[in-house]
Amino acid sequence: MSEESSADRNVEIWKIKKLIKSLEMARGNGTSMISLIIPPKDQISRVSKMLADEFGTASNIKSRVNRLSVLGAITSVQHRLKLYTKVPPNGLVIYCGTIVTEEGKEKKVNIDFEPFKPINTSLYLCDNKFHTEALTALLADDNKFGFIVMDGNGALFGTLQGNTREVLHKFTVDLPKKHGRGGQSALRFARLRMEKRHNYVRKVAEVATQLFISADRPNVAGLILAGSADFKTELSQSDMFDPRLQSKIIKLVDVSYGGENGFNQAIELAAESLQNVKFIQEKKLIGRYFDEISQDTGKYCFGVDDTLRALELGAVETLICWENLDIQRYVLKSHATSQETILHLTPEQEKDKSHFTDKDTGVELELVECQPLLEWLANNYKSFGATLEIITDKSQEGSQFVRGFGGIGGLLRYKVDFQSMQLDDEEIDNLYDIDDY
Amino acid sequence: MSNNGAPDSWEAQADVIGEQGAKDSNDVSTKFSTLNVNAVEFVPSFCVPSQGNDSTDSPTSPQKSESESTNSAESPVLNGCGDGVESGDGRAASASPRVEEPPPVPPAASAETPVPVPSDVSPTADSWEAEADDALLTPEDSNEVEEEELEQQVPSTEDGEISKKIPKKKPVRVEDTRSKKEHVNVVFIGHVDAGKSTIGGQIMSLTGMVDKRTLDKYEREAREKSRESWYLSWALDTNQEERDKGKTVEVGRAYFETEKKHFTILDAPGHKSFVPNMIGGAAQADLAVLVISARKGEFETGFDRGGQTREHAMLAKTAGVKHLVALVNKMDDPTVNWDEKRYNECRDKILPYLKKLGFNPAKDLSFLPVSGQTGQGLLERVSEEICSWYRGPSFIQLIDELPSLNRKMDGPFIMPVVDKYKDMGTVLMGKVEAGTTRKGSTLFLMPNRAQVTVDQLWSDDIEVTSIGPGENVKVKLKGIEEEDVSPGFVLCDTAEPITTGRVFDAQVVILEHKSIICAGYSAVMHIHCAAEEVTVKALICLVDKKTGEKSKTRPRFVKQDQVAIMRIECAGIICLEPFKKFAQMGRFTLRDENKTIAIGKVLKVVE
Repeated sequence: MSEESSADRNVEIWKIKKLIKSLEMARGNGTSMISLIIPPKDQISRVSKMLADEFGTASNIKSRVNRLSVLGAITSVQHRLKLYTKVPPNGLVIYCGTIVTEEGKEKKVNIDFEPFKPINTSLYLCDNKFHTEALTALLADDNKFGFIVMDGNGALFGTLQGNTREVLHKFTVDLPKKHGRGGQSALRFARLRMEKRHNYVRKVAEVATQLFISADRPNVAGLILAGSADFKTELSQSDMFDPRLQSKIIKLVDVSYGGENGFNQAIELAAESLQNVKFIQEKKLIGRYFDEISQDTGKYCFGVDDTLRALELGAVETLICWENLDIQRYVLKSHATSQETILHLTPEQEKDKSHFTDKDTGVELELVECQPLLEWLANNYKSFGATLEIITDKSQEGSQFVRGFGGIGGLLRYKVDFQSMQLDDEEIDNLYDIDDY
Repeated sequence: MSNNGAPDSWEAQADVIGEQGAKDSNDVSTKFSTLNVNAVEFVPSFCVPSQGNDSTDSPTSPQKSESESTNSAESPVLNGCGDGVESGDGRAASASPRVEEPPPVPPAASAETPVPVPSDVSPTADSWEAEADDALLTPEDSNEVEEEELEQQVPSTEDGEISKKIPKKKPVRVEDTRSKKEHVNVVFIGHVDAGKSTIGGQIMSLTGMVDKRTLDKYEREAREKSRESWYLSWALDTNQEERDKGKTVEVGRAYFETEKKHFTILDAPGHKSFVPNMIGGAAQADLAVLVISARKGEFETGFDRGGQTREHAMLAKTAGVKHLVALVNKMDDPTVNWDEKRYNECRDKILPYLKKLGFNPAKDLSFLPVSGQTGQGLLERVSEEICSWYRGPSFIQLIDELPSLNRKMDGPFIMPVVDKYKDMGTVLMGKVEAGTTRKGSTLFLMPNRAQVTVDQLWSDDIEVTSIGPGENVKVKLKGIEEEDVSPGFVLCDTAEPITTGRVFDAQVVILEHKSIICAGYSAVMHIHCAAEEVTVKALICLVDKKTGEKSKTRPRFVKQDQVAIMRIECAGIICLEPFKKFAQMGRFTLRDENKTIAIGKVLKVVE
């Protein structure tokens, strides 16, 4: 049960993310865009009163257009508030205003929802845009983990938070290797080498302080040091390393490479310590999906057509979808036969008008509905008895899933035989003459 | 390591001469005062290669072998040979009056060199081919170490033959200042603590490349740290961290000579985390020595899944090693005690795996029992009372007798850069893969296409004027800063520079991967000496392992034990060649998460 609710929550988070994106894009006239956030345990009546006061103030606005739209928005919010008898347990968020669309048309927007977790902000703002910072913060307050990957070639500083993996800084160094040079200068070379290594450790320690300490406090919940050889232990024990960070070290892991690859590997190796981080869960999920494929159990599907067919069969247990899946779902209706057809098109296919005409008669089809497939899935996955997991392509597995499997697939409850193996629409490269290995 | 001091002191001198002239006689003499202490130590060991390589006139060498051990006799000999470059140490004894002399020396040396240089290409090529045909042509005249070796290892008949050949050989030797023996690069691989470095150190001590005094010093220092049994490995583990922990981290480098061949030892780290370093070493090797510990329990952990014995052997094969010698080490351990059964057990367990890797047991594989700590079975055979059941050759005899390698003498010069450092110029280290080059020639440093000129050349710490394939060399370059070079760059011919690219098609064999690999997969690729992050861009087709047929449909994914052709994209531009054109630059390994995921070869460079 808990797993299911967490999956629902993830869908919820994704929806909010999407909403934030669309709200951020919106621009309105004057100061008619109202952002209203009511924290939990506040009183509706108090807010209503404040709105009534605002209404009075706003009626003094000189510009007629602006006054009307502000007044209109406030009225609209007041009406919305009437729908609630009390503030929901997690608080309430209302966005209302007239936005100007790309075509220059005006569109009234009124959105109210309860966030997926308590929102501890009180906000009332009229501006020419919606204020979503509080919501973004809501999404982002997962624990943040810092990573320092250092090896003989360079160091990388990164963070892992939720399902985002970020490289903050990286630099390369040139440390003298072991070289059989010697003679009477052997000791000098050895000393130079030690000095360079020492300076490198110092530099890493300094950069770490810069990056992971803000306002005199560590900005990460935990710190993982990774690297080959002894640098990481040297760093962790060094006096140069900030003691505030030193206390945050969760783990030292051994990786054989530096750079991005080392970062990925460090995340992998530190997985146990980071159980709750979404990134790790995502990796595990796709890892499980890949396991099904490699064991050839048949209990998997990929590609839009197969996945939807499996969904209709009710066979999909977990539906995996890339967050930026750019496939649109079209519902088209033919006037002649009043038959509805559903199409899933990529942006490239959308340009091809032949999809929108009736093949037999050549008559253009009526567009009933058009929305991103992912949105449709997010709204409907429950009716197929599946759970929806929305993933990123930030992890190694995620990137493979998106690039190799088209970003949509599912784990099935039972084996389904798909007759039509989807053919690749990518250009098929000419084959090469290959000498035997 | 005092023998390594020699090149440095030449450099110092060359500089002194060139820049400051006579005024710094004080400087020089102060230098000598410090040098003088060591002079006794390193002249003999240093003389070995120089005599072998440089133009020594015939009279000096007998004289030398007679009056070997006394250093006082040494210096006149050295000065007498007219090979001024190396006289620095000898002169130390005779001090300031000689200081005026150096100026003519470099011209003399260079005057010597241009003569052979034009004629260098064809005659050497001939002689090298001749070597390849008949290894007996190679031997040098008798000098001390070799004589010792001769007595110890080579049957007397051969000894006779060698002495017969000497007169024939002489004219060839005079004309070139480049090492004439066949160069073989030997990499020591194996599990952690199998004894790779110790064997390496023991060989150096037995062949006289590390003098007694240094070894004594190591032994003393090691005892202070109560790590007495490690002292031999200190000859190769030169870093402080390596000595403290007894773990090799970076590839150690040294050389020794037998009467036929010149060997470069590459001592690879055995620890799991340092496999990337090991690959860099293996990429330069012609011959791999797989060290296996016979001690109870150690053998098993090394060979189990997760042990480095298998992985190293496989990586060595992929890196292009032609012959593998498996040394069953620690035979003197109380749990083994030269037991034949244990030896056979180790051999029988590892043999099937090596066969599977593609080593032919008849041709490319040899097994022998040794003890690295005591040195038994390395230079000399194991004495009969200890080990009655093994009567084969000792390790050095064995590798000495191996058939010559086929080198690409002609063809464009190619040298991947393994390492670099700054020492009055940019010095690059690496193994010459093909072609030859000499002092003063102009080369390209790819992939940046930087034009450079060769300023100085060393073949295993001995300064030479031209280098050929198979040699492990240091090249001092003009026209580039040390910061602009990184390992994995390739020094090559201006006429036919090596291909560079970022996207290429390759045939890949997936060895070990828990799930599947599809487009979007990223790993680290090791190709020659370079390591680069790569991403699989697309899978092109599957290849049937048995029939070699290619599937018509594009696969969605590949999994363990499958062979596929895929398009791979690198993070940056690297040097590579299709496998067909130049195998050494076209084979690679993919690694991820401390494991070797796949091996492959480049089929086509796309862009």
